[in-house]
Amino acid sequence: MKLGSMAWRNLWRRKRRTLITAISIGFGVMLAVTFTGSGDYWYTNMINAGATMGLGHITIEPHGYNQTPALDKRLLNAGQIRKHVLTMPGVSNAIVRIMGQAMFASASKTIGGMFLAVDPAQESPDQNLLLRSLIQGQLFPGADGRGIVVGSKMAEKLNLRIGKKLVYTTTDVSGEIVSEIARVTGIFKTGVSEVDGALVLLPINSVRAILHYDDEDATLVAVTVNDQRYAERIRDKIAAAVGNPLREVLTWKQTQTELAGIITMDKSGNYITQVLIGLLIAAGILNTLLMSVLERTREFGVMMAVGMSPATLFKLVLVESFWLALIGLAVGIVITAPWYAYLHYVGLDFSGAIGKDYSAGGVLVDPIFRIRLYKESIIAILTGVFSLTLLSGIYPAWRAGRTPPVESLKAM
Amino acid sequence: MRTAGISLSIVSAFILLIHPINSSFAQQGNAASKRAKEILRQVDDLWRGSSSHSILTMQVKTAHYTRNIRLEGWSKGKEKTLVRILAPLKEKGTATLKSGNNIYSYLPRTDRTIRLTSGMMMGSWMGSHFTNDDLVKESRMEEDYDPAISYEGTRNNQNIIEFTLIPKPDAAVVWGKVVATVLADGYLPLIWHYYDEDMNIARTMTFSKSKLLAGRPRPTVMRVVPSDKPNEYTELVYEKLELDIKLNNAFFSLASLKRW
Amino acid sequence: MKILSIASRNVIRNWRRTLVTTLAMGFAGFIMILFASLTEGLLYTSERNAVAMNLGDMQIHAEGYRDDPDLYKRIDNAADLVRKLQQAGFHAAQRVYGFGLAAAGSTSAGVQLRGIDLTNEATVTQIHKHVMQGNWLADTDPKSVVIGKKLGRTLNVKPGDEVVIIGQAADGSMANDLYTVRGILKSIGEEVDRAGFFMVERAFRELMVLPQGAHEITVMRPDRSRDLESATAQVAALAPGYETMHWRRLRPVIARILDLADAQTIVMVLITYVAVAMIVLNAMLMSVFERIRELGVMKAIGVTPWQLFLLVYAETMVQVTVASIIALSSGWSVARYFQNNGIDLSAIAGSTSFGGVAIDPIWYAYVTKEAVIIPIVFLFIIAAAAVIYPAIKAAVIRPVKAIYYH
Repeated sequence: MKLGSMAWRNLWRRKRRTLITAISIGFGVMLAVTFTGSGDYWYTNMINAGATMGLGHITIEPHGYNQTPALDKRLLNAGQIRKHVLTMPGVSNAIVRIMGQAMFASASKTIGGMFLAVDPAQESPDQNLLLRSLIQGQLFPGADGRGIVVGSKMAEKLNLRIGKKLVYTTTDVSGEIVSEIARVTGIFKTGVSEVDGALVLLPINSVRAILHYDDEDATLVAVTVNDQRYAERIRDKIAAAVGNPLREVLTWKQTQTELAGIITMDKSGNYITQVLIGLLIAAGILNTLLMSVLERTREFGVMMAVGMSPATLFKLVLVESFWLALIGLAVGIVITAPWYAYLHYVGLDFSGAIGKDYSAGGVLVDPIFRIRLYKESIIAILTGVFSLTLLSGIYPAWRAGRTPPVESLKAM
Repeated sequence: MRTAGISLSIVSAFILLIHPINSSFAQQGNAASKRAKEILRQVDDLWRGSSSHSILTMQVKTAHYTRNIRLEGWSKGKEKTLVRILAPLKEKGTATLKSGNNIYSYLPRTDRTIRLTSGMMMGSWMGSHFTNDDLVKESRMEEDYDPAISYEGTRNNQNIIEFTLIPKPDAAVVWGKVVATVLADGYLPLIWHYYDEDMNIARTMTFSKSKLLAGRPRPTVMRVVPSDKPNEYTELVYEKLELDIKLNNAFFSLASLKRW
Repeated sequence: MKILSIASRNVIRNWRRTLVTTLAMGFAGFIMILFASLTEGLLYTSERNAVAMNLGDMQIHAEGYRDDPDLYKRIDNAADLVRKLQQAGFHAAQRVYGFGLAAAGSTSAGVQLRGIDLTNEATVTQIHKHVMQGNWLADTDPKSVVIGKKLGRTLNVKPGDEVVIIGQAADGSMANDLYTVRGILKSIGEEVDRAGFFMVERAFRELMVLPQGAHEITVMRPDRSRDLESATAQVAALAPGYETMHWRRLRPVIARILDLADAQTIVMVLITYVAVAMIVLNAMLMSVFERIRELGVMKAIGVTPWQLFLLVYAETMVQVTVASIIALSSGWSVARYFQNNGIDLSAIAGSTSFGGVAIDPIWYAYVTKEAVIIPIVFLFIIAAAAVIYPAIKAAVIRPVKAIYYH
C-alpha cells in the first residue's frame, strides 16, 4: 500500500484539526518572515546609511588611524588605491576623503568641529549624508577653492549665511598650526544636532595644500559595495590587492563599532524571540500529532494485528507530518504573501512615535518600518519551519510504532 | 571674550615687525594707497625695531574677575617673542614663547612646557581678551589687508587721518574691515575699530597717555573693549621699552622658558 | 458539584489526552512568562543603564547652563540645596565641571573635568562600580584622577601614570597641576569615554579657583515606585530659580528609544499571545470534538444541554488550572534564573551604545508581577473562549448525530 496517499487521507479525515494546525504553521511562517524580514531590512538600511556617513562599508586608512585618528596619519597614493579598487567586482564606489579636527571662527565666535574634505567629482548625495541633507545653496563646484558647506547649527552659532566667510584653523602634517579662509556655499541639516553643529565639507585639494600633504595623499578611501552582506569578502580581496603594513583595510563592523554592536544585539534578541515562538509552534504541532496518534490507538492496533510493522507505522505518521508541513507551508505562503507585500512596499510609519531625528549607534534611523527578505533568508525560513514540523512528528510517530496490539484493541 | 586678528599696535607691543625697505607692500597700488601704506608703516615704526625689551602691566576686567599682571617681554624680528609673568606671585614664572607659527607655554607650578594645539589657539591668552591666535597672526597685517585713507581732517578738535583696511580676498581673517584713526601729527594711533562682515563694530582698541618711551612720544596705554560686552576690557600699560638691543636667537628657546 | 466530579473523572480517564493538552498549554504559558520577564528585564536594564550611569533620575542646573556650559553658570549654595533634598527623602549629589587640556607624554586631549562629591555621588550613580583598571577616586588621595576608557587610550596612560591639566581658572589665571591616574573606567557613554576626567571635588575647586557653587545637582528618587513627574515637580519646588529636569527630557533620544522598545515589545507580546491562542484553541477544540460520541451518549441518557455545556467547561478549567500550575512553576523558576544570571550575549555583541549611553551585552530577565500574572490570566481567557464553540456544539447536537459523528 502506498504510504504517501494513506498518510494524506489520514490527514483529511480530520479536516478541522488539520486545517487549524496548518494555519498555526502558516502563522509561524508569517512571524518568521516578519521578524527576519524586519531585520534584513533594518540592518541593511542602517549599514548602508552608516556607510554614507563618511567611512563607507569598507575603509582603507593609515595603520592605527582607527584607534587614534589624527591628521599626521596619511594614506599615501590614495588616488591609485581608489582607481584599483573601482575595478574590483562588487564595489559600487570608492571615494577619497580627508577627515580631521579644526576650529571654526567667525567674527562672533569660535567653535570646534570636524571637516570632511571631498572632491565633488567623486561625491554624490547617495554616497554622502551631508550632501543629501542640503537645505540651502550647494556643494562647491570643484576640489579647489575656498568654498565650505556647514551645518545649520554651526551656521546659527557663527552667524553665517551663504556667501559669508569663516576662518578654520587646524594642524598640518608636521604639527604646525595653519589657518585658511572659506566662504559658505551651502548649508545642510541632518536633524542630528551633533552633526549639524560640528561637521563641515571642504574642497579636498585646498585642504591638501594647507595641510602640506602630497597630491595623492588623503586620510582614507571609503569603499561602498553593492550588497553589504559581502563586505567582509570584498574587504579581504581589497586587502590582498592593496594592503601593506602602512595601511589597514577595515569593514564597517570595525570602524563603526557602535552600529555593529546594536545590530548584533538586535539580531540576538530577534533570534531568541524567534526560537521562543518556534518552540511554541512546535508545541502546537506536537500536540496535534500526538493527539491524532493517541486517538487512533485502536486503529493502529488493528493494523498491527493484520501485520503492519511498527516501523511502517512510524513511517506512516512521519509522512503525515511531512504532508502537514507542506500544507502548513502552503498556507503560510498564502497568508504571508499579501502581508509581506504590504510591509515591503508600503511599510508602517512610526514617525509619530519616535520623531524623525533619532540615531542609534551613530546612524540616523528611518522611522518607517519595512521588511525585505534575502533569498537566503526565505530558504532558511521555509527549511526551518519544515524541519520543525517534521521533528515534532518524531515522538508521535514513535508512540504510534509502540502501540501494543492487544491493549489498543481494548482502548476506547 | 575673543579677539582674532590684531592691530598693528598690539602687534608691535609684543613683536616688532621687520620691514624690508623694498617690500612688496610699498610697490603695490596707486599713489594714494602708497601713501596710506607709508603712513601705516610709520605707525608701526613707533614700536618697531629689530628687537625689543619691554615691561608692562595688563589689567583685565570681565564680568567674572579682575586681573592684574605684570609682564616682561622680548622680541626679535617678526618670528620670535618671549613673554614672562613677573607678578602676581602665584603666577610668576609662567612664560609664553612664540617661534614662527608655534606657541609654547611654560607653567612653573607643574614644571611643564606644552606646545599649543590648534584647539587652544582660540583660547584667551593669560585670561585677557587676546587669544593665542593673535600672537601668531600679528605679523600678517600687511599681507592680509589693503589700506586706503578714508578721511583726513578734523574730528573732536584733533587733526586726524583715518584709514580703512579691507582684508584681501584670500586673507584668513574674520573681520569685514578695520578702521584705524591716527593723529595727523606724528602718526600716533588713537583708535582702532574692528568690524564683522555685516559691518557692525565687534571690537574697539583705544590708545592714550602719550609718554616718552625709548626716546620719543608713544601711547603707553592701549585698551581693548569687545562690543558685545562693553563693560569688559583688557588694558596694557607700558612701563618701560627698549629697542634694537642685542638679543641672540638662542635666547628664544624652550630652555629660556624655564629660567627663573 | 456533581459536574465537577464528573469532569475530573473524565479528565483523569482520558489521561493521555489530558496530559498532552495540559502540557501544551502549560508550555505555552511557560514561554509567555519567560518572554515577558526577559522583556521587562530588557526595558528595566536599558533604563537603569541610561539613568544609573550618569544621569540620575533628575538634574538641576542653572538656567542656560545646558545649552552653553560655562564655568560661571553655577548653582550657588549647592551644598545647602543638596542637604534640603536629602531631608526631603531624595538622594542628591553636586558636581562641578570645567574644561581643560590633559597632557601625558607627548599627547594631549581636550577633557571635561568633573569634580565629584564622593560620599553623595555613590548614592545617585553607579559609576564607581565601573572601573575597568585600577580604582575609583578616594578622598585620601586627592591628587589622583579617574579617566574615561577612550581618553586613557588616546593619552596612552595606565594607573600610576602622570597627567598634566591645563585650563583657565575662574579668576582668569592659567590653571595647571599634576595628577596621577588612579583608575580607568569601563565604557559608560560616548562623552565620558572620550573626555571624562573625574577628580575629587576638593582638588577641582583648588585647581579652578571655585570655592563654592556647583554646575549640576543629580537627584535620585528613593525608589522606583515614586512617579517621576511628581517627584520632579517636588524637587523643582525645592530649587526655585534653577532648572530641574528629569532624564526623559534631558535625553529625549533615549526616552524615545525606550518607548519604541516598549511599543515593539507590545507588538511582540501580542504576536506571542496569538500564537499561544492558536495552540490552546487547537487543543481544546480537539479535546471536545474527539469525544463528541461520548458526549452524544450522555445526552441520549438524559443529560441536559446546559449540563453538557458546563461539563465541557469544567473539564477545560481543570486542565487549564493544571497547565497554569505547570507554567507558573517552570516559568517562574527559569525566569528567576535568568534574572540572576542573564543571557550573556557578549560573545556575539561586545559593548555598544544607544544614543550615547553604553549598554552591557547581558540580557537579564526581571520577574515582575505582571510578567507572571498576565500570561496566566490570558491562558484562562483564551481557553474559555476557545472552548465556547465546541461546548455549544456538544450541547446542542442531537444524540444520534453525535454517535455517528465523524
